[in-house]
Amino acid sequence: MSESGTKKTFSRRKFIVRSAVGVGVLLGTGYFTRPIWRRSLAEMANSMEPSYMGDTETPQLWFEVTADNQVILHSPKVEMGQGTFTGLAQIAADELEVDIRQMKVVHAATATGNIDGLSTGGSLSISGLWQPLRELAATMREMLKNEAARILKTDAATLTVKEGVVSGNGQSLAYGDIVKTVTEWTIPDTPPLKDVSAYQFVGKPIPRLDLRDKVIGAPIFGMDATMPDMLYGAVARPSAIGARYVSADTTEAEKMPGVVKVVKEKDFVGVVARSRMEAENAKNAIKVTWETGKNWQSEDIEEMIKVGKGEPFVIQKEGGAENVLDNGENIIRAEYKSPIGAHAQLEPNGALAFVDGDKATVMISTQVVRITRGEVAGRLGLDEEKVNIIPTYLGGGFGRRLHTPNAMQAAVLSRAVGKPVKCFFNRQEEFQNDTFRPPTHHVLRAKLREDGLIEAIEHNVSSGDVMFGSPLFPAIAQPILGADVGAWRGGMIQYGKIPNYRAVSWRVKLPFATSWWRSLGLLANTFAIESFMDELAIKAGKDPVQFRLDQIQDDEAGHRLKEVIKATADKAGWKDGVHNGRAMGFAASTDAGTPCAHVAEVSVEGQEIKVHKVTCAIDPGLAVNPDQVRAQCEGAIIMGLSAALYEKMTVKDGQLTPTIYGPYRMALMKHAPKEIDVVILENADAPGAVGEPPLGPIGAAIANAVFRLTGRRLREMPLELT
Amino acid sequence: MKISFNINGMPQSVEVDGNTPLLWVIRDVLDLKGTKFGCGKAACGACTIHVDGEAVRSCSFAAKFAEGRDITTIEGLSAGDELHPVQQAWIEEVVPQCGYCQPGFMMATAALLEKVPNPTDQDIDDNIVNICRCATYYRMRKAIHRAAEIKNANS
Amino acid sequence: MKKAYLFYTLLLLTAGMALAYASSELQEGEGMEQPPGEEGQEDALQAFDKMMAVLTHKRCVNCHPAGDRPRQGEDSHYHNFGVRRGEGGHGLPALQCATCHQQENNDYSGVPGAPEWGLAPLKMQWEGLSRVEIARSILDPARNGGRTLEETVHHLTEHELVLWAWEPGVDANGVPREKPPVPKEEYIKAVKEWAVAGAPIPEE
Repeated sequence: MSESGTKKTFSRRKFIVRSAVGVGVLLGTGYFTRPIWRRSLAEMANSMEPSYMGDTETPQLWFEVTADNQVILHSPKVEMGQGTFTGLAQIAADELEVDIRQMKVVHAATATGNIDGLSTGGSLSISGLWQPLRELAATMREMLKNEAARILKTDAATLTVKEGVVSGNGQSLAYGDIVKTVTEWTIPDTPPLKDVSAYQFVGKPIPRLDLRDKVIGAPIFGMDATMPDMLYGAVARPSAIGARYVSADTTEAEKMPGVVKVVKEKDFVGVVARSRMEAENAKNAIKVTWETGKNWQSEDIEEMIKVGKGEPFVIQKEGGAENVLDNGENIIRAEYKSPIGAHAQLEPNGALAFVDGDKATVMISTQVVRITRGEVAGRLGLDEEKVNIIPTYLGGGFGRRLHTPNAMQAAVLSRAVGKPVKCFFNRQEEFQNDTFRPPTHHVLRAKLREDGLIEAIEHNVSSGDVMFGSPLFPAIAQPILGADVGAWRGGMIQYGKIPNYRAVSWRVKLPFATSWWRSLGLLANTFAIESFMDELAIKAGKDPVQFRLDQIQDDEAGHRLKEVIKATADKAGWKDGVHNGRAMGFAASTDAGTPCAHVAEVSVEGQEIKVHKVTCAIDPGLAVNPDQVRAQCEGAIIMGLSAALYEKMTVKDGQLTPTIYGPYRMALMKHAPKEIDVVILENADAPGAVGEPPLGPIGAAIANAVFRLTGRRLREMPLELT
Repeated sequence: MKISFNINGMPQSVEVDGNTPLLWVIRDVLDLKGTKFGCGKAACGACTIHVDGEAVRSCSFAAKFAEGRDITTIEGLSAGDELHPVQQAWIEEVVPQCGYCQPGFMMATAALLEKVPNPTDQDIDDNIVNICRCATYYRMRKAIHRAAEIKNANS
Repeated sequence: MKKAYLFYTLLLLTAGMALAYASSELQEGEGMEQPPGEEGQEDALQAFDKMMAVLTHKRCVNCHPAGDRPRQGEDSHYHNFGVRRGEGGHGLPALQCATCHQQENNDYSGVPGAPEWGLAPLKMQWEGLSRVEIARSILDPARNGGRTLEETVHHLTEHELVLWAWEPGVDANGVPREKPPVPKEEYIKAVKEWAVAGAPIPEE
């Protein structure tokens, strides 16, 4: 193509071409035609149905080929540590026929790139893009090949491609050279994809593409973003639950050093200053009148969250569990609890925004690019097309960035001063205004048969909202779904041979925001169910591993779960009981189609629960990058351990507390197991979920070990031996 | 007030309120973004730098105390293009996930290795108390041991 | 019991001797004129009460802990993040007190600071001791760093780290830390009065 700036859109709109100074650029477009609402939301949340909801209307940028023969993938999924960029690069490289070292991945900005209509979350990035990205890459390879054939005056079928260089007929042309010369492109049909066994990069432990940037401290995160003439904003945030902004006395704030402008809106008050600390100081000088409601306490929340208090919805039913359990004898019953959890990601939320006339640019760590854009456009009264969201690397996601009102606030502040404004939470605000993992209460009932297997089992989970109320899912989805699939994620009984089982989700609307937290309900629900399974195995006098294997159905999902359980037990050298002061605890779960099991090797020293080793087997299907699958398992295990042993928010006098690391106890280096052994099974052809499933079993695995060591059944997270 | 110090081997003067946390001087005045803000309360360690070779949490270090001191940030940890043994080990072990906290951990580790060239697991547990929400601790521990090996082999 | 009494007497004698040496200079100070008469003894014990109300306060005891772990906060919890004393009382090699604590309080972070921030040596452990035991400890050269009474008084009344207790700053949430129950000047006066009176320690 030329470098003169000509633009051509093809009728089929699969690819368009544009130019940029010094580089040849290829644009791919809306490949996707099936919006997400045609899929079952419930199925998506609890199965592995891959979801990718791309823009279907306008041409969008997928790949750029640079003059020096690099390929830049504009990823509609954001990189928050889960390794998605690297996995996507591997997938694209194999079909594009370029070396992984020629691949670069950047976040797609909404003005040019493909906008993911859903989010980055649900452990669905790799699985959702597996098929479409390969097809796009293969199509582009063919397109480049065809153009090369035209230039070289030969038949494309005689050409081969290696490392981004097309060769044949004694000649060769690099992709970078092709895009420099071609002006008219013909889009070929999507060619057949290669066999997975022919891939060079998929399936290999390729080092993360962002490694070097992340060890040299490159400015890649939202908080690192800058623009010329940038100012700093701060917004007064409520500290109390349910507090509503009424008015503000800004007399003092306006006199503070460095203040450029105090901005009063109908729903918030903020300040713009020359530096971060000047903005903070001025914000602290604003006297805000908040309207506050009830003076909430932890006891209020505990009472609200009890099973039976909210709205019930049956999410699973097989046989007549209710009948057996309501009328039978020797019913085993137990209650479990989990606390309010904070995201506590290290990079606070915030944004850099510049509103310039009828255009706005926002640089931000977000998991919901489309929603962020909609909120900014809506607040400013701009067309969405005039708002460019430029996603940055996320300093942790974990679900915390599925809600980004700070982008809108930064934009409002920017408009007020006509300059770029960077506005971030401080840590206290981050804790107080988190969208927390909701507390849960679980009631489990079961009856054993004479042979020791389960005749009937029932799980009641009561939880604050996860999905409901989130801007990600419109209110219309609620009656369709009935229950909050986020809250009950992991709450179904996965032992299909049991003749009677039932699961009920109780919805409770809490007075503070609760939402997505990595793995959603999985951690708490698996803690409850898998601890209870351990109780039942002990009651039945059975080995807890065999007890599970005996009750898993014989379909494909059951087969994969059984294989994972066996692999974990084998690798860990599973032994029931206490040996040399240590005990093993076992638990398993299936999340988003990925089965995962843990054996935790634990000792108890005084009141301290010490986890020495965790063995984990996981079957995500095809592992695009086994090393990153391993990394996700290691991280999820320790994050889950942190939640299971230490983390807890409480409500005191209307405040969520604590508001700082330390008092909000989290796992540190010394708490991490010294050994984590991950076994990856690949009993499916396509990649499945990885980022969240390994969080599931850890709480129960630890609690089950503690029972063997102490005889005490800890039924509440965080697990405490006091 | 005017404050003069060396940062990453270069003399530097800034004109700021002396109580401004050094973190913000480094990030916003000197535009070195590798030093991270995590909490502003010296609790998470994301802002760890070296002051005269000692690990310091820059969010709780008033700029005025930097006068005449030698400051090193993650950008100055490597010698030119050659990465510091800690950075090399971090790459070898593929430690970072989101990566936000990693500069702070690497700076704390580099300080540790200057004092304790062959840290035991206990030394690591006691000295490295930064927070990583991706919980990359398992690989970090391996990388710290590896960094010690690389560093000792070099010297 | 008998042994303890004997020790107590000896200690008083030692203290008295130390005082004889120190008093000429101490008399320059404010409120030091009173020789230890019977009435003086009563005043001295009142001074002792005041002094000990300060020395047993968390602002002091948190950094005179039993063992290697400092305490912090109004509830004297163990210092967050498993912080330890280290060899010199100023922390571990890469986790020095000065990693976070500087020469003065930091109002932005809520991290307290003063020169020489660190733990009192293990010998000067006050946590878990009664006020009488603390008083004996501060007069015992084997446990007070070999200080004379004069030096002890100097430490108690002029050392910046000790006097930090009256300027404890704000915590991480911006809430002012609790000060000792006796105003600084009153405390300093009390320490000096008590010393001049022969540093008497009441019975438990």
